[in-house]
Amino acid sequence: VRVARRVVVLAVVAAQLAFVVRGYSSDHKPFAFQMFPESSMWQADVVRVTADGRRVPVETPWAGYHWNALVGNVGLKYPSVRHHADAGLDNQMAFLRSALDWVADNTPRDHETRYLEATVTSWHNADPPRVQVFRSHVR
Amino acid sequence: MSATAIRAREGLVAGFDELLGRPVSMRALALLRVLVGPIVLLHLRPFLADTLHGRIYSDAFYEPYAVWYPELPRAIYVGLLWLAAVAAVAMTLGVLSRVATVTTFAIVTYNLFLSTTHFHNNRAYLVIVLGVLAVAPCGRELSLDAWIRRRRGLPPLESTAPAWPLWLLRFECAAVYGASGMSKLLDPDWFGGTVPWQRAVQARGDLEGGPLPGWAISIVTNRDFYTGAAKFIVLTELFIAVGLWWRGTRYAAVWVAVVFHVSIQATAAVEIFSVLGIAVLVIWAVPSTRDRVLRIDPTDARQRRWRAVVRRLDWLARFRLEEAAPGSRLELVDRDGTVIGGTPASARLLSRLPLTAWFALPALILRRERGGES
Repeated sequence: VRVARRVVVLAVVAAQLAFVVRGYSSDHKPFAFQMFPESSMWQADVVRVTADGRRVPVETPWAGYHWNALVGNVGLKYPSVRHHADAGLDNQMAFLRSALDWVADNTPRDHETRYLEATVTSWHNADPPRVQVFRSHVR
Repeated sequence: MSATAIRAREGLVAGFDELLGRPVSMRALALLRVLVGPIVLLHLRPFLADTLHGRIYSDAFYEPYAVWYPELPRAIYVGLLWLAAVAAVAMTLGVLSRVATVTTFAIVTYNLFLSTTHFHNNRAYLVIVLGVLAVAPCGRELSLDAWIRRRRGLPPLESTAPAWPLWLLRFECAAVYGASGMSKLLDPDWFGGTVPWQRAVQARGDLEGGPLPGWAISIVTNRDFYTGAAKFIVLTELFIAVGLWWRGTRYAAVWVAVVFHVSIQATAAVEIFSVLGIAVLVIWAVPSTRDRVLRIDPTDARQRRWRAVVRRLDWLARFRLEEAAPGSRLELVDRDGTVIGGTPASARLLSRLPLTAWFALPALILRRERGGES
């Protein structure tokens, strides 16, 4: 019992410390307890690129889908409006990249989109703006 | 390795084992169990509301942590969420306490790890707290289980248990404040004031629509204000993390932590973090019970009221009530045998009751600084 108790306590303490350290390099920072980490902002022009080359903003509903309904409550609604990155820019951009793939994979009624593309302008705290382009995989 | 080094290591290990296995009162964890049930319901509310509208997490963007993580059929997932709500109520009431607590912990944890989009710091903290409550025998007091046992004429179960779950939760509690404060300390943008200043400027529209007067808004959106304020915020978090560990600073750290959580609740959307953070502070009470005596004169109406206050609000079971001779003043015998009476006794009493401690502690500290109390 003593050894088991010792092992459990030391394992939990070590795991907690490891999570805290890992939080400085991971996107989602689970159990790192970094609260209100940044004042960073972001804004994105997200489009569907169709087979015939059209670039259609996702703000326009398509095939019965609405971007805001598809992306849930992780700060990705109304992407063309400038938003605060609540849990940091890395976290928000990781969600955006994954969301592009998820939307590409989970819109079966859409037969015209090849991929989704987001042109993101981000402001890390008081740094100058940075522009990045993220694409979903090709459907 | 020399014999001396081996003996020193063995002594260290034995001391560590003694610390983990030392029997201490589980009363604080029992109280926390009672408090955490409603907090779990608050946490589950958005998930349950979605199920009432026919939605679950997989109807919108979600991202599993691992491909092997099991995802349940919709009906079973919804059933589990509602079972967690029932278990949380049972946990608070103390009905099949251990089963209810383990069930609540298992479902809340399963739900948290379903998707990276479910993760928030307050939810992680809740999982940690539930994990500790699930392994600690915290249903032997403040529970219907204990009441039913008494009604059946059975002897009460041992209310002490090995201390390791309590120490572990204390470590986690301090780690939350420490990790948060340290991350801000190491970030020049935070410690220098840029981050909190920009957040205040970003929220200026909300501030102007709130109750703050114009001059106060000018101050809280002024860049220079945050050069000092940011350091104050960071040092506050670090003070709480460190101050909780020593008896001399613990009361002050608890007091500051309550202010800290109330301030956060008033200025940011943090889900259950504030209520959970404040509830967990009960674990910093010394883990022993009925080791202070309150002597009251039952013929004195005023002292009878104090007795009623203790009976209703002494949730951590810190006081033993004894009757004093008619005409005696109210007396409090502390752990070390020190006897105090009258108003100082009342102030000390209120500082040891969870619901009134925050209000009474400043008076107590002031008295101590003036040398009014030994």
